[in-house]
Amino acid sequence: MNGNAPTGEPLFGLREMELNFGPQHPATHGVMRLKLKVDGERIVDCYPIIGYLHRGTEKLFELHPFFQNVPHTDRLDYVAAATNNLAYVGAVEKLVGLVVPPRARYIRVILAELQRISSHLVWLATHAIDIGAMTPFFYCFRERELILDLFEQYCGARLTLNSMRPGGQPYDLPQGWVERCGEFIAEFPAKVDEYEDLLTENRIWKRRTVGIGVLPPETAIAYGVTGPMLRGSGVDWDLRKALPYEAYGEVEFDVPVFHNCDTYDRYLVRIEEMRQSARIIRQCLDRLPDGPIMAKRPRVLKAAAATEAYHAVEGPKGELGFYIVGDGSTNPYRCHVRPTSFMNLQALPEMSRGALISDLVALIGTVDIVLGEIDR
Amino acid sequence: MSALKQFLDRLLLLDLFAGLAVTGRHLFRRKVTVQYPEDRLEPADRFRGMLRLDSERCIKCTLCARDCPLDIIYIDWHQETNPETGKKEKVLDRFDIDIQRCMFCGLCEEACPTEPKSIWLTTKTYELASYDRWQNLYVTMEQLESWRVRPSYTDEEVA
Amino acid sequence: MSWAWLDSLRETIGQPQFTLLFAPAAKFLVAIVVILLIIAYLVFVERRLLGFLQVRLGPNRVGPWGLLQPIADILKLLIKEDTIPNRAVRWAYLLAPCLVVAPAFVIFSVVPFGPSPNAPGAPRWYVTDLDAAIIFVVALASLGIYGIILGGWSSNNKFSLLGGLRSAAQMVSYEVPQGLALVGPLMLAGSMSLVGIVESQAQRGLWFAVPQIVAFFIYFVAGVAETNRNPFDLPEAESELVAGFHTEYSGVRFALFFLGEYANMIVISAIAVTVFLGGWLRPFPSIEALAFLDLIPGAVWFFLKVFAFLFLFIWFRGTFPRFRFDQLMALGWKWLIPLALANLMVTGLLVVLLNGRT
Repeated sequence: MNGNAPTGEPLFGLREMELNFGPQHPATHGVMRLKLKVDGERIVDCYPIIGYLHRGTEKLFELHPFFQNVPHTDRLDYVAAATNNLAYVGAVEKLVGLVVPPRARYIRVILAELQRISSHLVWLATHAIDIGAMTPFFYCFRERELILDLFEQYCGARLTLNSMRPGGQPYDLPQGWVERCGEFIAEFPAKVDEYEDLLTENRIWKRRTVGIGVLPPETAIAYGVTGPMLRGSGVDWDLRKALPYEAYGEVEFDVPVFHNCDTYDRYLVRIEEMRQSARIIRQCLDRLPDGPIMAKRPRVLKAAAATEAYHAVEGPKGELGFYIVGDGSTNPYRCHVRPTSFMNLQALPEMSRGALISDLVALIGTVDIVLGEIDR
Repeated sequence: MSALKQFLDRLLLLDLFAGLAVTGRHLFRRKVTVQYPEDRLEPADRFRGMLRLDSERCIKCTLCARDCPLDIIYIDWHQETNPETGKKEKVLDRFDIDIQRCMFCGLCEEACPTEPKSIWLTTKTYELASYDRWQNLYVTMEQLESWRVRPSYTDEEVA
Repeated sequence: MSWAWLDSLRETIGQPQFTLLFAPAAKFLVAIVVILLIIAYLVFVERRLLGFLQVRLGPNRVGPWGLLQPIADILKLLIKEDTIPNRAVRWAYLLAPCLVVAPAFVIFSVVPFGPSPNAPGAPRWYVTDLDAAIIFVVALASLGIYGIILGGWSSNNKFSLLGGLRSAAQMVSYEVPQGLALVGPLMLAGSMSLVGIVESQAQRGLWFAVPQIVAFFIYFVAGVAETNRNPFDLPEAESELVAGFHTEYSGVRFALFFLGEYANMIVISAIAVTVFLGGWLRPFPSIEALAFLDLIPGAVWFFLKVFAFLFLFIWFRGTFPRFRFDQLMALGWKWLIPLALANLMVTGLLVVLLNGRT
């Protein structure tokens, strides 16, 4: 149980200070505890302790039929609910063998990309405020309000969306939604330029993020890190391009990859991803096909016995996967979540050895954890 | 030339001034604060708010109770013969919702087969705070049917 | 009813000892009250202005436009429970806030708020005019560091300790460029008294910010670092150290720390205005065409300039991320001190070479 092995004999009998960072702390983005061994300000070791938000979600999944579990998936990565919905219903459709109609696929892509923008806005807001710049927080949340309004008009809720069902979509787009979404997308790149004006060339920001938290690509792959953390380390892997799902095979977009493996590059990756998401949404809105929004499916969904399916999507934080085992009944026998932030968090102790406490805060921000996903 | 320009930029702190310009411009823009409770934002039409029941329309099929992910809808009904028409019909004894656990997901509304729905969440009501904790734990059938939209708190207290 | 006591009071006030002893005390009291009011409303203006920079309204509920907010804040802080951590070092814990607040106020006794008429016996716009006012100011500013160190160490809290140590290192390092930056104008003015420096600027008809622009910049940056304000606000970085050295303080003691920080802001602004921006002089004092601006009394110009600096403080807080600790120290030692020394050498050289003309 001794995860915090000391890194060598202490000099002159001096002991390192053990500092408890969290679980109640303004910067840990949720209830996470980091046991730090610090030598003055330098971190000698970092041992994350999680489980403060464990709610037994995977057990809850086993107790209810497939479509009733969709609201529970909202609450995993509560900042990116549509992505969780997408991964789950994709896994159920793979398990049961449903084919989603094209209009529903496009609507799902629009929702997922809007959710990606919203999650990255939250990431930028909290990362900036942890590093000390207070104002991007308010500007980002101003844009996020518009996205949440769009969600509210579509499915009735802003954060815990419950917006997808196995087989398609529960509702069609309301009147005028496509126009409103188009207006938002038209103005959004100018807002991203504003955030970049404030931060990207700012010498203080660069000093805080360039060269901090270097994660070499081999280490990243070894830990199973995915998403912007991986692409900031130079590995060109994005599930939307590598294993396209929903309508991603039919739209054009670029995947930003930067090669310096530090916090600044991950920041650039996410900023560029926001712009690319706007591009994807524009194409989907233009090409939205008509047609049904729900597949032909039995009223009661049953999975055949001894079947399993794994479906992963590229969420804002990385690869989010659902592994479902069916046992012939309406409930899943086992539903396991491959949580993005849990895998990404493994890289944190490695990145933080030798860093200062101020850097630790920047690193937690760049890993972009959401405790709901880590603890389930 | 570009190296000279970069050197001058760094010397004259132009990147810092760019940041100051962005925030300075915002001093003169319209602020986005909505001064609640005098001004309120109207929720969307599909907004999932407080639940409401219409027991007349309800056909007591209990599909909503079956579909609830949290199993918090409690329905009791019995059959009795209507003295006027002589037909057997279902009577709703109990339709309670354990509102402290409800996550307002709307699956009960989706399951309801009547047209229009007998249980619905599109009531545009989210101001459910009260001064008495016991009001917000459990709503009975009567409360589900008859709750009033909470008036502005500057008006008189709603019981 | 005998009014003899009133006559004897009038007689006492008329005596010269009164003017010598009690008049400065009375002026000091007035200065403190004015500064306290400014601090209280500075907190309010900061919250409002930060809100405006952040595309939101600040507090505007308490009173018309929120103007009674400082009173509500003060009342709230006064009635809060006074907690002392269990194993805190009591004497240091109780002394620390006072050590932060007191020096800031005492510095105001040498700052000239307005022009001093030449007639002897006329009331002056300063409490006292020390010959070595600059040294007095720098010395007292250094005393504030003790309060922060004691506060951080005595709280029996690792985060406070870290915050206190960081702040101590930061403030000590930035004292040096601050002092060095002030020597430039000293050489140009030929006097260490603040009144003398302003008089010298009036004589030349030029604010010292013009010939000493580098020193002005260094002084201001060092001043922002001295007051632990963004972008140098590591000691109280909320996201890292919860609240740094004043984590464990509540109620009136916290109010005193807060007061001390804002008083320090006003002190830095006041000294910057006096030494670099001509104190109570109007802009461009040498251009006769702008003499109509003299209609605005000197004290008003002084406060306008101080408010402009305070606006800059708040604007910086709303815009910049914060420096990491080692970068902060590197900036102070590797950039500001050499720059200040260079400025000193150049100024000294020019003063000697042009000693007839300056």
